[in-house]
Amino acid sequence: MKKIIVLFVGLFSVSSFAQNFELGKVSIDELKEKIHLADSSASAAVLYKTGKNYFELNSEGYFILVSEIEQRVKIYKKEGYEYATVEVPYYTGGKLVRLYFDKAVTYNLVGDKIEKTKLKSDGEFTEKVNENYSIKKIALPNVKEGSVIEYKYTLKTPYYMAFPDFNFQTSIPVNKVQLTVEIPQYFTYRRFLKGYAPINMEAETVVKNRVNNYNDSRIVFKGEEIKALKEESHVNNIDNYTSILQYELAATNFPNSVVENFSTDWESVAKTIYDDKNFGNELNYKSYFEKDLDPLLKSTLKREDRINLIFNYVKSRMNWNEKNSYYCNVGVKKAYNEKVGNVAEINLMLTAMLRYANIKANPVLVSTQANGIAYYPNRTAYNYVICAIEQENGEYILLDATSKNSLPDILPLRNLNWVGRMIRENKTSKEIDLMPKMISRELINVMAQIDAEGKITGKARDQYFDYNACAFRDYYLKMSRDSYLEMIEKRYNGVEIGEYTTNNDKDLEKPMIETYDFTHTNMVERIGGKIYFSPMLYFAKVENPFKQEKREFPVDFPFPYQDKYTFSITIPDGYEIESLPKALSVVMEENLGSFKFNISSVGKTIQVMATIDVNSSHFSPNYYPTLKDFYKAMIEKQNEKVVLKKV
Amino acid sequence: MKRNFLHLALFFLTFFSTFAQDDTYLVASISPELKENANAVARLRQRDINITSRKSMTILTKDVVTVLNQKGLSNVGASEYFDKSTKIKSIEAVILNAFGKEIKKIKRKDFLENSLSQGSIITDGKILYMDYTPTEYPFTVVFQSEVESSNTAFIPTWNAIQSSYEGVEKATLNISSLPELNFKYKDFNIDGNQNIVKETKLNGVSYTAINLVSIKDEEYSPSYRNYIPHVLFGLENFNLEGVEGTASSWKDFGSWVYASLLAGTDEVPWETQAKIKALVGTEKDPIKIARIVYQYVQNKTRYISIQLGIGGWKPMLAKDVDRLGYGDCKALTNYTRALLNVVGVPSYYTIIYGDRQKRDLREDFVSMQGNHVILALPVDGKMYWLECTSQTNPFGFQGDFTDNRLALIVTSEGGEIVRTHEYIAKENTQMANGNFSIDENGSISGSIFIKSKGTQYDNKFSNGSKSADDLNKFYKSYFSHINNLKLKKINVVNNKEEVEFSEEVLLEATEYAKKSGERLIFALNAYNPVRGIPQRYRTRMNPFEISRGFYDYDEITIDLPKGFIIEAKPDNFEIKDKFGDYKAEYVVLNENQLLYKRTFQTNSGYFDKNEYENFRKFREQVAKSDNSKIVLVKN
Repeated sequence: MKKIIVLFVGLFSVSSFAQNFELGKVSIDELKEKIHLADSSASAAVLYKTGKNYFELNSEGYFILVSEIEQRVKIYKKEGYEYATVEVPYYTGGKLVRLYFDKAVTYNLVGDKIEKTKLKSDGEFTEKVNENYSIKKIALPNVKEGSVIEYKYTLKTPYYMAFPDFNFQTSIPVNKVQLTVEIPQYFTYRRFLKGYAPINMEAETVVKNRVNNYNDSRIVFKGEEIKALKEESHVNNIDNYTSILQYELAATNFPNSVVENFSTDWESVAKTIYDDKNFGNELNYKSYFEKDLDPLLKSTLKREDRINLIFNYVKSRMNWNEKNSYYCNVGVKKAYNEKVGNVAEINLMLTAMLRYANIKANPVLVSTQANGIAYYPNRTAYNYVICAIEQENGEYILLDATSKNSLPDILPLRNLNWVGRMIRENKTSKEIDLMPKMISRELINVMAQIDAEGKITGKARDQYFDYNACAFRDYYLKMSRDSYLEMIEKRYNGVEIGEYTTNNDKDLEKPMIETYDFTHTNMVERIGGKIYFSPMLYFAKVENPFKQEKREFPVDFPFPYQDKYTFSITIPDGYEIESLPKALSVVMEENLGSFKFNISSVGKTIQVMATIDVNSSHFSPNYYPTLKDFYKAMIEKQNEKVVLKKV
Repeated sequence: MKRNFLHLALFFLTFFSTFAQDDTYLVASISPELKENANAVARLRQRDINITSRKSMTILTKDVVTVLNQKGLSNVGASEYFDKSTKIKSIEAVILNAFGKEIKKIKRKDFLENSLSQGSIITDGKILYMDYTPTEYPFTVVFQSEVESSNTAFIPTWNAIQSSYEGVEKATLNISSLPELNFKYKDFNIDGNQNIVKETKLNGVSYTAINLVSIKDEEYSPSYRNYIPHVLFGLENFNLEGVEGTASSWKDFGSWVYASLLAGTDEVPWETQAKIKALVGTEKDPIKIARIVYQYVQNKTRYISIQLGIGGWKPMLAKDVDRLGYGDCKALTNYTRALLNVVGVPSYYTIIYGDRQKRDLREDFVSMQGNHVILALPVDGKMYWLECTSQTNPFGFQGDFTDNRLALIVTSEGGEIVRTHEYIAKENTQMANGNFSIDENGSISGSIFIKSKGTQYDNKFSNGSKSADDLNKFYKSYFSHINNLKLKKINVVNNKEEVEFSEEVLLEATEYAKKSGERLIFALNAYNPVRGIPQRYRTRMNPFEISRGFYDYDEITIDLPKGFIIEAKPDNFEIKDKFGDYKAEYVVLNENQLLYKRTFQTNSGYFDKNEYENFRKFREQVAKSDNSKIVLVKN
């Protein structure tokens, strides 16, 4: 490790001959550069970015966290102009937070001279977005292809709990990046670095503070040649893979006061959250629901029935206001009365009611997919809370009452993000796996006839189970029937749906079922007196979703699934089967998935059974070729034709 | 006569019944036909506009909307815009349950505020909106507000139906003004509508609409302005951010824009004057000069929409654009105009609606209209149109954002309504030439050379500046019907002089031809198949429009694998219809070679909803022919 660092320092000193990493020292070489050397597709690049986080004392003697960011950005192409408009949001909902830009300059090469255009006040805007935050925005002047821009902004905030994240990586290449963090001896922070980019951390040193009479611990992070971040399909949240450094306050130890511990591990994160009045206290109230719940609970005795009764009661009474938080906002009592609440109000209320009915229920902290994976212990890693019931056998049932269509262990998809943390009444905590283990099935049965003109008519029955059912109810049931059918007809180009019914719309315990009649005039090809068609009809997948040769990031599917198709197809009079595709069975390595295809015929009827199993919802990039080949084999088979000839 | 009487009776019936329910708003009393295709029903949308002086307009709104399901939430609205000259004097809402009983009151302090700025749009406009989570469906929102503005240049248009999937029980509009302001109005799609009653007054008008059924969003629908009843309003003597304006004719209005918004904005610093004069040199041809100036602007500036204060209507000074190197459409257009002026080429600031869906300035109604500005360059009786917000458009290229619509050119002599360039089908071409061969395993390899012009150029030319990576992604999706695709070579050239985009692609893929025993089956149109068929509607409600035509021609030589013979191939196919012409020809050159020729023209037009199914069938036949396959069998 040491060797690598030494080598790294060596590199640094070499490259520093060519470039000066100080605002205002733009070189002619930088201005002359036409394309980015490592990434010719880059429309712009960060030539260097320097961050400095440190503390100072304000006039009243309180600590203020200062974060300074300096950037030099090269604009190669017109598409890169967007990087010449910079916005920084900041919190304005409480104590004074200051944010200001300075030293914003655009450099251009005019002949062989450097032309410098400074940002004036007419290029700087402050927007009050709402009560809680504002945005400072600058539009750099005189930007052209080839320009180099520079700017610095400084954030001064008393909220040292919310240490600003530092991004080493962004949507354009970053040639050089350095972050220095200086933390007074009175604070302990934990830090966490995620992402794939190589970032070196130098050993921590203790230095005397330049102004005040205390020591700072100083640490420096450096990175070079960091690749641009590019979007890929099937990624839950690209932030999970971006190189970002985060800090979390672990403890304060001010002179003349006791040590105050915050979250240094998951246990204490959980405890800190539990101890907050907007969390733990809210679990203790019960008077608000007793009178409503008592009469209902009296009649049922079985444990399972009590769970279902309470879960359904909360789901039907409460309406989620689409706000995420593990803290209550208006509190469970008010939420209960108004029938509207945020996630915490609804699920803590659920937990409290279950406990009231003698069920061992606990809250589980969750980070939603949009919030990113909670990699390391901190309070902001989470943004959501659900409920877990501890079973006799040590297993758990997970409940989230914010969606009307959820079931025990069938959570809204936003929750399916690795692990959460359960907090018990005694404030101990435990990691809980949130990823669905069961395979969500879909069963499709089709009976169809083909006539001599090539028209297909038939009946289809589609049964959705588990997560498939939940997703169907969440997304499609709220569409109008006509719009839904029009969407299906669009998806399966050319199919026309006649009589259509659904079953078990509200009966969540049962599979969601669709039954319909269809005709399709464009499925079958009649060429030279023969008839050709795919035996999976319009259900045959035609396009491989994985087109790229290489993959940077893992592939995420919503949940493991199984699709099982059975077709029974009657061929037209006057024709006989000339050839059928062959049966096939493909299994991905480590049983990550499989595709089985069987076909046979009896008289004028062709029977097809096809099963697709995808047993994992997360594939690391190493498995990308496997996954791509699996889809290729599957699609090829699904598109092989049955050939009919005239008798 | 009898018919008429019935209508009258019905009218009174509904009138009385709505009157009787006015305070209760029972969901049960909504008539079934208003709920059809509706996510919400407007029980009452009442707007009273009172213009008490040139500098004061008050708008009272009462909206009572029953939300039938979750999707209907977006129909509620319950928000108001405000800025420095527009103040919200009161705003409140009451939520009623299905039985009309009040379940919640939302006071002004419970409304949330949000800025309308985002990204490169900077404005001081804000919005106050209701944040309400429904506890049950259906429910009814009774929203009331009073807004006062000192701007009288923009009187909101009244739409009898405010949005799709909404039935309307009753909608009213009542407007009155002062005589000296010369109030005027014009209604559209209202004459002959039995459900809308109009009442004219001195210096005002009112409309009452009763029982309008919901409209749907449908593919190929023309702008709703073609079929929704709506009314435009205006004052001949108005106030815009403290500037007094007049709009009695387009000529006068243009003079006013010129004198009040443009005059004095076009000063260019002498350094830039010298620079531009040096660039132009001795060139005399106004078009060549304009090309030089346009290129100069494209290289120097970028688009940022800054709509602050009067800047929302008046262009930023040319000298500021010169210094900052950015501006919005008004600023960049005016800057280009100022530079052209320096070198003695006249050009006109032009107000237009910029949108892919065409929208005219209403020639027969003079008022503040348009949402975009471009530059008109008159040379020898012909008009060239310059889009000054683009850093990449070829000179004089309009594309589909501002084509074929009425716009207002502003000159020192006044305004004039002019139509911008119309792209006819034969201008929007895609000409392709190529070949491919299939081997005995069904793999395809081939190359294609495509040239695109007109609106087809518009669709593609941004690819000219894409990176190799992004081009690879683009062609993988462009040829997404070919699985296992490998792109061997991609070469694109954006010829801005000729306004022509060329593409050369070399590709290969395994399993293009599907094996079936001894046979190989594949589609002969490998490169340019029409895939999507227009959406089928159980009952089409709106008329439809094909806004621009196009013309594609493909000529592809196909090499067949050795050792195979053609067992069956598609027959030549041709259709001619009012929607377009299509022709596919398959010529056997020799036993191992075929020539595929395809012509596909789509015509623009505006059609009745009854024609929609025919249009769909036309496109279905094209898709079917494009997908038709050849069968080869081993010899």
